[in-house]
This record gives sequence, structure tokens and C-alpha cells, in this order.
Amino acid sequence: MYVLTLEKEKRIVQPNPEAMETELKVNNLNVFYGSNHAVKNVSMEIKKHAITALIGPSGCGKSTFLRSINRMNDLIPGAVCKGEILYEGINLLDASVDVVSLRKEIGMLFQKPNPFPKSIFDNVTHGLKCAGIRKKDVLENAVEESLKLAGLWDETKDRLKHSALSLSGGQQQRLCLARALAMKPKVLLLDEPTSALDPVSTAKIEELLMSLKKRITIVIVTHNMQQAARIADQTAFFYEGTLVEFGNTRDLFENPTHTRTKSYISGQFG
Amino acid sequence: MNAKVTDRLATLCFILCAAITAGTLFSLLGYIVFQGVSHIDWHFLTADASTFQAGGGIKNQLWNSFYMLLMTMFFSVPLGIAGGIYLAEYARPNKITAFLRSCVEVLASLPSIIVGMFGMLLFVNTFHWGYSVLSGALALTIFNLPVIIRVTEDALAAVARDQKEASFALGATHWQTIRTVLLPAAFPGLLTGIILSVGRVFGESAALLFTAGLSTPNLNFGDWNPMSPQSPINPFRSAETLSVHIWAVNTNGIIPDAKIVAAGSSAVLVIVVLLFNIIARLVGALIEKRWSGK
Amino acid sequence: MASERNELTMPSTGRAARAQHLLKGKTWSDRDLKAKIFIFSAALLIMAATVALTVFLIVKGLHSFLIDGISVIEMFVAGEWNPNANPPSFGALPLLFGSFAVTLLSVAIATPIALGTAIFMTEIAKKRGQKLMRPVMELLVGIPSVVYGFIGLTVIVPFIRDHLGGIGFGLLAAGIVLGIMILPTVTTVAADAFQSVPNHLREASLALGATRWQTIYRVVVPAALPSVLTAVILGMARAFGEALAVQMVIGNTAQIPHSLTEPAATLTTMITSSLGETTYGSLQNDALWSLGLILLAMSYLFILVIRFLSYRRRSS
Repeated sequence: MYVLTLEKEKRIVQPNPEAMETELKVNNLNVFYGSNHAVKNVSMEIKKHAITALIGPSGCGKSTFLRSINRMNDLIPGAVCKGEILYEGINLLDASVDVVSLRKEIGMLFQKPNPFPKSIFDNVTHGLKCAGIRKKDVLENAVEESLKLAGLWDETKDRLKHSALSLSGGQQQRLCLARALAMKPKVLLLDEPTSALDPVSTAKIEELLMSLKKRITIVIVTHNMQQAARIADQTAFFYEGTLVEFGNTRDLFENPTHTRTKSYISGQFG
Repeated sequence: MNAKVTDRLATLCFILCAAITAGTLFSLLGYIVFQGVSHIDWHFLTADASTFQAGGGIKNQLWNSFYMLLMTMFFSVPLGIAGGIYLAEYARPNKITAFLRSCVEVLASLPSIIVGMFGMLLFVNTFHWGYSVLSGALALTIFNLPVIIRVTEDALAAVARDQKEASFALGATHWQTIRTVLLPAAFPGLLTGIILSVGRVFGESAALLFTAGLSTPNLNFGDWNPMSPQSPINPFRSAETLSVHIWAVNTNGIIPDAKIVAAGSSAVLVIVVLLFNIIARLVGALIEKRWSGK
Repeated sequence: MASERNELTMPSTGRAARAQHLLKGKTWSDRDLKAKIFIFSAALLIMAATVALTVFLIVKGLHSFLIDGISVIEMFVAGEWNPNANPPSFGALPLLFGSFAVTLLSVAIATPIALGTAIFMTEIAKKRGQKLMRPVMELLVGIPSVVYGFIGLTVIVPFIRDHLGGIGFGLLAAGIVLGIMILPTVTTVAADAFQSVPNHLREASLALGATRWQTIYRVVVPAALPSVLTAVILGMARAFGEALAVQMVIGNTAQIPHSLTEPAATLTTMITSSLGETTYGSLQNDALWSLGLILLAMSYLFILVIRFLSYRRRSS
């Protein structure tokens, strides 16, 4: 497909990720669900305006790691996060952090498209309205801008009042993306966003992410190693709660240092 | 006996049981409606009840029933929904929550006459509100609260978790999420449950005997000053509802046509309850259909 | 309000200043607090109402024993309830007997039919049985209790009078009326119990060559037995506490009847008939509140038994 070859060409001109600024600095993160030690002593630096992919077999802790960044783990009774996630000089895990403000700035996209059973317009404006924005023209501009960014404007501009559930699965996921983008997040967390989508919708989302990284830091959990190889600047491999290997995507895929990474990316387990 | 023959006989028995149950319902409904409908006419619905002559109507009782129903819902729906939200969203797994759950269970299982007796002690005698619409409505609120709480909790629990997470991830606060995502999604179930509870409240009588009383002052439907003793909307006047009226004419009544009045009233009562039941189903199905995006 | 959005889009102007808005206190929502206060007060009010109800009725119910000097023992063993006699007697035994008798009678009438109907719904006509019978149950539950009483009065009482003798009012009429009233409760809960029996148990039995009936009584019913017991107790609790429908058909005579067709009285019918007729605060009135206390205690007992059963079911 032409999209994929295009991305390959793009990567050649990309700057070296290691020279980039750090957005999130994770130090010794541990997450427990009751007695289950789900994330073990993970430290890593997530670069600003880059795509970082988290890969690994099911249950390796990559989603838990992702959900601790915007404190979604707070919603799970019995979940405890210890360690540091430094962002703009503050530790996001600190009790003094207001999770509501935090989540306005660090958005999230989920595995299954989860639009609200409301109109397309109301879906995109949900976060803005909750942030206290009521002016109609501000909301309308935000809807147009976000839907354009998510590549959904042309398909939906004539039916903004229609139910979001009338959209196809791929469209729904892009609507969820638009909904998150309307908040103008600095960081976007994606939890296997294309695992429920067909290849064409997946390619569209990947294309969007590549164009969005100019202004947003993206962290994506994925099951699909080709996806990581296609879009990520840096890739982290998780296994049984620990961070086994982390580095530039090309290095990790071409010269993995750990045998476990090697056997995972060559498809021997997972 | 042959195992196959026994099996056939047993099956026949079960079918018979189901037929008895269904037959009981249909003969009950049929009896009430057909016995009573012939006595229902405009005069019956709009005339004052008679104290010792034949030919009385049920105007005031009907009004009292609806007025008290409205007031009960006014108290019990917000309180019950708040209680349900607490249990579904705010309650932590601790002793207080366990105690609250026990309280709801107790309120749901207590006989309604006990609720009426408590209403008499607290509202009628301690607060000195006497036999009144307000005392009755508050007793019915206690009677109806556990139903609304359960309906709310179940409806909220049935909302998919990813909806809640999506809202939180957009920076919505807990209450914003409840108000704009969870409650709208739970609305069809909530509404159906509330309408069904309306039917139950409308037919309740034992809780009202000692709280709203067995009599109604001579209501003046031209007087809408809530403080006037003959006003239909005065909350501090006594108010015999339709279901209490059925009981009263049969046990204390001296009117010669007690059976006819009771039959007509029963038919009205059952028809109203049936209507609420049908409306609840229709509304639930309708909203479900509209919200699924079709 | 719009300033918040501007702030988010503002270019970064230095780290310490920018991160401040992520800390608490800045975006504290007034509405959230108000909603939370309302919801927590509602929860508190529900608990307070339950406690108040229990305490008020206990204190008022003990009044006759502690202040008026009625003997507790007399109330439970003496056979005559006659508060207006001189000297008055407060033997609640006939009323207790009446309450238990109508409860047991109604359960005896309703349980076989209810279980049969539940089995029909879950084992015989699985899909159509449910679709037909569930609404029937909901409608039966929805019929007001005075309507049941009225039907008892106009259909069942005359029927008993004409065919079994006596005046028609009595335990039997009350038992039948209550039996019909608790039928949907017992049926629904029992049907849920049968439905939750895992299918592989049925299949295992059928695969061994057992007939459907053998499967039902050897496998399904034993597996669901604790929940079926809960269903029956729920029915008993409802029958024990029902007031007006029973009051309309039982004849209201405080005596231990010699046959099912003789009139009797129960705790609830005595309260229903007399509480409004006696002067508040009088000896006669206080004695009725003591009957209310017994009724309250019995209701709590039923709740405890149901809790115990469901606790055992969950732990096993």
C-alpha cells in the first residue's frame, strides 16, 4: 500500500530520537493490583513530539503502565502506583495532582471504539463542556477543527446531529480521536487503538498519528509489531511486568540485545 | 410405573401449574375489570363520595391518590436516585456501605403496615401533622425508596465501563461523568423502573391507613390556596386515597352500595396500575430503540 | 470560563509556572462538591430513617410492658385478647396463632403451584414459557393488595360459605387470598434459582439416559434447593406482614379457631382494625404497638434467615 511506503521514506529524514527533548520521565514505577505486581520497577524517558510504542505479550503490564500515566488506574479499586512519572517538573503520581486537570492535558484512546450514545457533535464537545466552555461558536470551531484533524470532517460535516453509533467502527474510533484532540492534549495515550479495526481503518489511524506527532507526544500500546515498526520512533518491550528493552525502533527490531526480545519480535511467542 | 409415563405425567403437572397461575391472573383481571367497568361512568368518577346513601362517586379519592402519588415521587425519586448513585459510584467496600445496603434491604422487606405505624409515630404524632397528605406521602416515600435505589443502582451498574473511562479520560469530573454519561445511558432502565414503582405506590393502602387517614374534608376545587383547609392541594388535610377507600367501604362502610362502589373503584385502580405497567414497557422499548442509533 | 481553554493552548512559558495548574485547588468544581453533599446526605438519610423506624417502634412497643405494666409472659401465653374487658386481658396467643396459621397455609397453597410454574418456565417451555409467564408474574405482583382482599370478600368467602359451611370468613379464605398474593414472588425467585443451575448438570444427567422428570427431581431441584428455600421464606415474610387483604376476609375474631372455616385474627389484622379506633396513649392503644413490635421482630427474623441462606449459598 502506498501509505506504508510513504512512511518508510519519511523515516529516513527523521532526526535521531535520542537528541529530542524528554516529555515524560518515568522513575522506578511499580503498580500493584492487590497482591498482583503488574508493573515492576520500570524506568524510561518518553520523548516529546515522538511516537513511543509499547509492545509485549498479553498481560505483560504495558496497558497498566499506560493507564498509570493519566491515572486511570485510580478508578480500579485496590490499584496502587508507586514511583515517579515526571511531567513538566511534577510527579503525576503525587496525591496533590488534580487528576481532572491532568486528564485534560493527557488524553487517551481505548482499544474498543467507545463513543457516547449521543450525537457526533456532543461527543466531540463532551470534554470541552465539562471544562466549562459553553460558547456556541467556540464549540463549533473546536468540533470542525478536531474532526478535520481526525480526518472525519468530510464524512460527518452534514450529519453532526446524528447519533455517533450510526458511524462505522473505524469512523467511531476516529471520532474518539477527535474527541480527545478537542481538548488540545499535550500527550496522547493509545491503548491498542486499532486492534478492533480493519486494515484500511488501521492505516488511516496510523497516518493520522504520524501527522499528529508534530504537535503531540504519542504513546501507543500495540499488539501489532509491524505497526510499531511502521510508526514508532522509539519502542519499549515489556515482559511479565518488567521493561526488558527500550530504544530506537530500528535498533530494537534490527539488533535486539536481549534474547527474549529477539524471540518475541521473530514471532516465537506472544 | 414406566419411567416414560412418569415423565409425561410430570410434564403434564407442570403445564397444569403454569396454566393455573396464568389462569388465576386472567380471571382476576377479567373479574375486576368486567365486574367494575359497568359501574364506571362520568358520574362515578366526578361525584363526591356518599357517607350513607347509595350513588356516591370517587372524585376526591381519585384526586387524593394522584396528588399523594405526585408528592411521593417528588420526595422519593431524587432521594432514591441519589442513594442509588451513592451505592453504584461513591460507596467504598467498607462497613458503612454494608450497613447502608442492610438498611435498604430492611426497608424493602418491612411490611407496609409497619411503615404506616412508623409514619403515625413520627409524622402524625411527633411532628403534629395529623392525618395528612404530607404524612401519607412521606410514609409512601419510605415504602418506595428502596425500589428506586435498587432500580438506579442496577441501571447504573449496567452501563458499560468503557463509557465511564472515556469520560474520565477527557478530564470530566466524577459528577460530570455521572450526570452527562452514566445517568443518560441508564435512563431507559431508570424510567421503566420508576413508572413500575408508580403503579405500586398508587395501589398501596396499609401504609396510608394511619398516616393519611380514612376521611377527606369537603374539597372545594375552586380553592387553590394551599393553606385553605378545603383546598385540594393543602398538604396538611387528611386524604383518603382510592385504595384505602376500597378497604373502608367494605369494612367500615354503611353505604348500601358498598360492593358496587368497591367494584368500580377496584376496576379504576387496576386499570390505572395496568396502564402504568404498559406505559413502562412501551417507554422502555421506545427509548432503547431510539438510542441504539436507528 | 473560556480562559481555561486559552491557558491550555498557551505556549509554554517556563516549567514551574505551567505545571501549577495540574495541582489541586485550581480547578475545584463547586458543582461536584454540591452533588457529592446531596448524594452523601441522601445515603445518610436512608440510614437514619431505617434506624429511626426501628428505634421508634421498639421504644413505643415496649411502653405497654415497661410503663403500663402488662406482663410480657401473659402476652405470649394467655389465650384471651380482650383489652376492653374489666380487667382487660392481653393474651396475644390467638393472634400469633392466626398469623402463623395463615402464613403456613398460604405457603402450603402457593409453593406447589409456584414451583410447578417455575419448572415449566425454566425446564419445559424454556423460551416461550419465560416470555409468557414473566409478564404474568409482574402483573400479578402489581395488583394492589386491597383488590385481592376485595376479590376474597366477593368470590372466595361466599364460595366457602356455600360449599364448606360456616360464615365463609376465616383462616381458609385468608390462606387462599395470601396464597395467590405470594404466588408470583415465590415463582419468580424459584425460576431464577432453577435457571442458575448450570446446564452441564442437566446434560450429564440426560446423557446417562435419565428422563426429563428424573433430571428435574434428581439434579435440578436438589442443586437449586437453597435458593428455592429463600423463595419460600420470601413468600412467608410477605404473607406474615400483609394486613388489609387478610383483614377483609379473616373475620377478625381473636380466638384460636377449631377449623379452617372459623373466623380468626392475626397480629396485622388486629392492628389494622383497632389502632385507629383506640385513643393514642391509652392502655388499649399501647398494647397494639406491642403487637407491632412483635411484627417488627418477626420481619427482622425473616430478613436474617434470608441473609443466612444467601450467605451459605455464596460460601458453598
